[in-house]
Amino acid sequence: MTPDSNPGNPAYLKIRDLIYRISGIYHPEGKLYLLVSRCARRMIALGVTNPAEYLEHLTTRGNRDAELRLLLNEITIGETYMFRHPAQLEALRNVILPQILDTKGFIGLKRLRFWCAGCSTGEEPHTLAMFLLEEKDKLLAGWTFDILASDLNDNSLEAARAGIYGEYALRSTSEALRRKYFKEVGDKKLQANDLLKSQIRFERINLRDDTKMLFQKGMDVIFCCNVLIYFDLASKRRVVQHFHSNLVPGGYLMLGHAESLFQVDDSFRLVHFPGTTAYCKPAAALAGGGKK
Amino acid sequence: MNPKLESDLYAQIGKLDSISTAPAILKPLLDLMRLPSEKISMEKVVELVSYDGAIAAQCLRLANSPLFGRRETETVRAAIMALGLERVRSVLFGLCMNRVIPQDKWVITPNAFWRHSLACALVTQQMAKRIEYTESEKAYLAGLLHDIGFLVNSVLYTEEFRECLRRAAEQHAPLHVIEEQVLGFTHCDSGRMLSEHWGLPKELVDAAGCHHNTSLLATAGPLACLVHLSDLLCRVSYLGYGYDEIMGVDLGGDAAWQILVPKYPALAGMDLVRFTLDIDGAMDEIVATVDSVFGSRKFATPAAT
Repeated sequence: MTPDSNPGNPAYLKIRDLIYRISGIYHPEGKLYLLVSRCARRMIALGVTNPAEYLEHLTTRGNRDAELRLLLNEITIGETYMFRHPAQLEALRNVILPQILDTKGFIGLKRLRFWCAGCSTGEEPHTLAMFLLEEKDKLLAGWTFDILASDLNDNSLEAARAGIYGEYALRSTSEALRRKYFKEVGDKKLQANDLLKSQIRFERINLRDDTKMLFQKGMDVIFCCNVLIYFDLASKRRVVQHFHSNLVPGGYLMLGHAESLFQVDDSFRLVHFPGTTAYCKPAAALAGGGKK
Repeated sequence: MNPKLESDLYAQIGKLDSISTAPAILKPLLDLMRLPSEKISMEKVVELVSYDGAIAAQCLRLANSPLFGRRETETVRAAIMALGLERVRSVLFGLCMNRVIPQDKWVITPNAFWRHSLACALVTQQMAKRIEYTESEKAYLAGLLHDIGFLVNSVLYTEEFRECLRRAAEQHAPLHVIEEQVLGFTHCDSGRMLSEHWGLPKELVDAAGCHHNTSLLATAGPLACLVHLSDLLCRVSYLGYGYDEIMGVDLGGDAAWQILVPKYPALAGMDLVRFTLDIDGAMDEIVATVDSVFGSRKFATPAAT
């Protein structure tokens, strides 16, 4: 039997609200069908056809935490391919980097630090590295940069280090960039070349490890896309506070497309850019981080 | 704006009536638009639409478009029923305005202009509802009319305004900043004068006149502040004036936001990321409506015109 796929079913709205409350990921009216299709996969696996019953699996049944995690996995699946969020890169190029270069250039510090926290299999840091290399003679002329890419999962990290990608991961990567930064390794796969690899330092970091988090200082931009959604509110707050102190004043935290820090943290300023949003650590942070 | 320029502009706007032919239904339509939707009489709308053959035809075309899934709407009444009164009001207004500006004097394409105006109307109204501002109809109208200064600039200063748009697009800069440099006034200034000339209510005059002028927002009242924020949100949602702007907007730190929050505390409780995602969803319908009424002609880059 196929699950009920009518987005108008009130149970789906409840699941939507639950996901928003737990993870901060929000599905607007027009995107409910996406949530419905993600739920359908889990419902089929469980042999459930009624969304109200599936809601019980997510809220009252004994395995609810595990089920919620599996649903979140489904929701964020397909999020990882290179150049997935061009609007984010445009915001970097047009506003964020010029702002940072302005501030740092003024004090004579010509080095930029980026961190992809929760980099999974490496698509994001490789995208960032290509983007920055392409700007090396333009926006970043005279500047150096380093990229830290971290994940908790050893397998993901190993794959990220290997830098071997198939067509799916490269679907939005232009032919010119493929030629410049990858080499063929057979089986229709490409591997990041030494130039690209050398831009990224991979490290296993548990974002819940306070000691380790304390050491990541001086970051200009931190990317943390679809990672915090798996954390409970208290841990999420803690990680975000760490990010806040890891960033230089005027630095930015970039989250996933539909992720919000609303009611999680108010020490960052939400900034809207064309097609995307980001969180800025105010340059002149007031005592108390600008809390109300 | 210097006083000489201001009096010149007033004099020019006085002449606007004789230069362009505002459709006869414009005035009654503006009156109609001030009413809450439940008070609008269907008869009155049917009468207005039927009065003008070209406008009636447009409404039928829209009602018969795939967007509304209707294929056999033959009467004006059925078309209005299919479209809904709210949408008909905006469409009517759009069609009237399109006639006020002669075809060869459009600087911003009608499509881009209406996308922006309708989007801003919707966002202003939605925001008004969220913050419990009671007159959400008026909010819609304020959003819809906020850029009528474009009309003055397009009709009376066509070439200079074209140059403004060209430079703004080239520099990816806000249009009002370039208008100030090239014309010496902005579409806010001319919009304020035109809306006064048309006898629009003060809040609407203020919304048209102050939405880019943050120093005037405090005295202008909540509608102008809402329109200012909505205009920014539309522009970051790719529904600006048809060119890419480089911008980064801290709405929570914006003057309009600061003015509104003490009076409308619900604003501070709004998840802006979530609100933006909601808006993005609604924008698709706006784009489809505008494309179906005004054609889906892509914006010709100002440099190429």
